[in-house]
Amino acid sequence: MTDSQASQVANNDSSSEEQAANDERAANMDKENVVLRVEDLVKSFGALVATDHASFEVERGTIMGLIGPNGAGKSTLFNLISGFYESDAGRVTVNGTDVTDMEPYEIADHGLIRTFQTPRKLEGMTVREAMLVGPREQPGESFIKLFTDPESVREREQRNLKDAQEILEDFEIDHLATQPATKISGGQLKLVELARAMLAEPEILLLDEPAAGVNPTLRKKLAEQIRRLNEQGTTFLLIEHDMEFVMSLADPVIVLDRGHVLMEGTPDEVQNDEGVIDAYLGG
Amino acid sequence: MSLRAIVDDPNAYWSGLTRAEQGVSGFIAGFVVLLLGGLFTGILAPTYFLFLVGIAGMYSLLSLGLNVQWGYTGLINFSVAAFFGIGAYGTALASASSSPVAGNLAPAVGLFVALVLAAILALLIGIPTLRLRADYLAIASIGLAEVVRIVILNEDQLTNGSAGVRGIPTFFDGWPLLDTFPQTMPSVAVSWLPSGTVVLGQSFWSALLNVVVVVSFIAVSYFVLKRAHRSPWGRVLRTIRSDEDLARALGKNTYRYKMQAFVLGSLIMALAGVFYAHLNLFVSPGDLSPITTFYVWVAVMLGGSGSNRGALFGGFVIVAIREGTRFLNAFEFIPFDVAPLRLLLIGVIIVLLMRFRPEGVLPPQRELIWPSVVDDAPEQPDSGVRDSKAGESND
Repeated sequence: MTDSQASQVANNDSSSEEQAANDERAANMDKENVVLRVEDLVKSFGALVATDHASFEVERGTIMGLIGPNGAGKSTLFNLISGFYESDAGRVTVNGTDVTDMEPYEIADHGLIRTFQTPRKLEGMTVREAMLVGPREQPGESFIKLFTDPESVREREQRNLKDAQEILEDFEIDHLATQPATKISGGQLKLVELARAMLAEPEILLLDEPAAGVNPTLRKKLAEQIRRLNEQGTTFLLIEHDMEFVMSLADPVIVLDRGHVLMEGTPDEVQNDEGVIDAYLGG
Repeated sequence: MSLRAIVDDPNAYWSGLTRAEQGVSGFIAGFVVLLLGGLFTGILAPTYFLFLVGIAGMYSLLSLGLNVQWGYTGLINFSVAAFFGIGAYGTALASASSSPVAGNLAPAVGLFVALVLAAILALLIGIPTLRLRADYLAIASIGLAEVVRIVILNEDQLTNGSAGVRGIPTFFDGWPLLDTFPQTMPSVAVSWLPSGTVVLGQSFWSALLNVVVVVSFIAVSYFVLKRAHRSPWGRVLRTIRSDEDLARALGKNTYRYKMQAFVLGSLIMALAGVFYAHLNLFVSPGDLSPITTFYVWVAVMLGGSGSNRGALFGGFVIVAIREGTRFLNAFEFIPFDVAPLRLLLIGVIIVLLMRFRPEGVLPPQRELIWPSVVDDAPEQPDSGVRDSKAGESND
């Protein structure tokens, strides 16, 4: 354990009272139409409490930003919600269904899809081929149906390829469709990732640092796309370090500090909050 | 790649191939000429030649099986020999006259028994390991291969132990017509060869039947795999190989897919075992030696992981090296015995391959999308997908 981790653990004890005082400022838990609800989620790795009674709600049709200093536990929270980590305590609900400790693929079936901070390239596939992994419940994903019902496999594949082509056009990257997936730039890869996740038709999409490593031009495009998709009905929850990006896009924003929710508010409220500034400056 | 396209315009077909494909085609053509020369001059006896074709087919089957596991899905299986052995023993114990368990059943029943046993073994090893990281399967499978071999060696009352199982019938035993085909076929004397008269008798016809068996096994496996490879199912497997977490995040039950791929690959390996038992008519625990696993891995890497035709090619090359080195001793100007060096030779090939062409000789070139769909698509990739990675162009 590094020194900073150790001090963080020590801080956690003293912060419980502090946290109680913060509770009325923490996330708004009385939203109307909730897609994702996280209640009292706890996860520790050995002595390090990475997620410390985190609670918040994501309202349908919003873009919610999740920010916090390094080590605040944002990615851990994502991993807990999407089923990649098992939580120690607490509850995650998607569309009213308790998905706590389900497998990631089961959670995806309930409409929650996530992307990764560093997307890995799919070797030996073209971009559109990689896109075709996105759609859920394809008949062609059943080995038996390949031989008993090839016609429905073909029809669905044709439709999926058309959908993939369309969404690539919407993203203005259709010229990449037949390029090897290993050949495109990091920023383009992020766009492809987002486009592919949309093919899975999520109700809520969790984006882990979508703008990291993306050049400013492409970043603008990415923000436009997220906004457009949101207007078409997809709910977003995104982790982002680029403040300009997240503040222009998200409302509300929640701030995570040492594993618990420090506050929730509009971008303006968050930016002018003393507690948030303290958290970022390590106060 | 239809025959018609070749006949219609051979030049266009040739220039449409990648350089690797041209190279392999040239190599195969040269090799076939060499073999024909061997047959013609009498260095290679026709019956022995057919036997070699059978063995090469057997290795190709094993490679096809491993390719499903490693090439498609990225599962590291070091127990190829165990699944091969289970296949061989499965059919042997069901059909052989000296079987301590059942015996004298039809070889078709033996084939069924072998496949069921292989599937059960694959499930047993897959259930605990496939939920874990890839390396656990690798370690467990090394152990499994030895466990299976030692169980077969020691369970005398079930397997005859070190004595092996004798009296295995040929695969077509009990079939109408084909059962007695070698006996009923007349002996053909070929007298126009420069090396003198060669008589193609009973042993030739039964060797030919064996080739028919292995070719049909390969044809069925290849047909199934080809379709699976270009399907959404195969695409999920390839996604798992590159990035399993991504597949999970997109809602794929990766455990189930890995299990399916593992069982499918193991069944194809067992097919190779079934063929071997009815070719050799005798199986013993020595047939499960780990060297088989090693050869098959070399074949898959040589051919190009993830490529079905690469696996076929790799299987044939391995046998060519293994058996071809025997003939090198015929050249008297080589002052030492070449045959014992074949393992060294295979090692050298692997080192060169990893250095100069890590993706293998025939890596998958095309987009793997359901055939009729992608052929209708307006846009086509202008080059192979994998080529760029190795820094070699197509022109």
